[in-house]
Amino acid sequence: MNSSDDAFEAELRALGESLHVPPPPADMSVRVTAALRELSEEPHFTTGPSKPFFAAKFRRPRFTTKRLVAVVAAFLVVLVAATPQGRAAVVEVLRFAGVEIEVGTSEPLPSGSPSPLPSETSAALAEARRAVAFPLVVPAALGEPDQVRVADGGQVVSMYWDGVRLDQYDGTLHEVWNKQLGEPFPQQLLIGSTQAVWIPQQHGIEYLPKAGGKPVSLRLAGPTLIWQVDRVGLRLEGVQTIQEATRIATSVR
Amino acid sequence: MNADDSLTDDDAVGRALSGDLVAYEALVSRYTPIAHRTAFLLGAGDEAEDVVQEAFVKAYRHLRSFRRESPFRPWLLRIVANETHNVTRSRGRRADLSVRLEGVREPYTPEDPQDAAAAGDRSARLLAAVRSLPDREREAVVCRYFLQLSESETAEILGCPIGSVKSRTHRGLRRLREEVDRELL
Repeated sequence: MNSSDDAFEAELRALGESLHVPPPPADMSVRVTAALRELSEEPHFTTGPSKPFFAAKFRRPRFTTKRLVAVVAAFLVVLVAATPQGRAAVVEVLRFAGVEIEVGTSEPLPSGSPSPLPSETSAALAEARRAVAFPLVVPAALGEPDQVRVADGGQVVSMYWDGVRLDQYDGTLHEVWNKQLGEPFPQQLLIGSTQAVWIPQQHGIEYLPKAGGKPVSLRLAGPTLIWQVDRVGLRLEGVQTIQEATRIATSVR
Repeated sequence: MNADDSLTDDDAVGRALSGDLVAYEALVSRYTPIAHRTAFLLGAGDEAEDVVQEAFVKAYRHLRSFRRESPFRPWLLRIVANETHNVTRSRGRRADLSVRLEGVREPYTPEDPQDAAAAGDRSARLLAAVRSLPDREREAVVCRYFLQLSESETAEILGCPIGSVKSRTHRGLRRLREEVDRELL
């Protein structure tokens, strides 16, 4: 950087300081705690307004994994119950490990040739590890992948073995995939102590690009297992049985 | 709550993880201004307050996935940036940088009114040029200069390697200079 670059950068910083940005909301901590309280069903969260918010220390955190598992489980049960045979399909959306699953849609399954993910390129495993902002895992049950592809500026890494595909992506913060499912509804299971979802049938899958914009319609996906390791979302496709998928998923290192 | 000032981020996170919501409120108060500015400048516009609220709720729910040895601010701002993307995507339009220049405060304060007008004009052109940058370059420029974040913070927030932050910023700066200098001719 030469001095005129420095001056230009300083000019941009000064411009930033002169921008009109509305003042930050003063009551944000009240709003956030109220929203968190609404999400909780602990009885002592419904104490009257005269008591200070959350004056008491809680016995334990309210959003434990167990609890989230229970919430997801309950949601799925409700979905199944709310969609009796013969009634018009109720579309419900389940969000889990970076995947948005629309349950109850009866759209025709996609056909034709599959599209690739945006800006997908081949990479060696070590190269892929450097290119993404999250830790990659490899299932020991499958060994080294035959092929590794990095897509959408490091948002998704796909590994391929004979007929099997494993996608990894930052699964905690926003949705990366959209799936449309009719019956049968996805099945839940545990991978170790982690909640997972098994989709037994063929279904349409779309990719939601990182930069926003229109979803990319990808292809017809086969049976898929979705789960999460820390902040990384994983989807394993191409394995025909839940037992085999679980065996592979539990072997990730 | 003045007692909150002495609480480090890590202490507050630790206490929030053990269920202490008052400690989490301290983090919310501390980071609301930067979170709100980030949401607004990345294009959330009128929805910036809702984005920030949702981001803090999400951050609390995902607090267990936060790595305690790393700083809290960029982790939180990444959630803010993602939430901003979600609202701009659901609006079905490009994330606009909907800001205007503060009428009175210009980056330079020249004595001569004519110089002041020229400086204001240049600022307005520069802002327009930032607005029309491609999304990725605009986001990098906004993070680095308007939010004054480091390269590594910017990388975490935008979810890309540091190398990409450098190249996007570099391309953005080059484009801005070309744009502004061309109009001077």
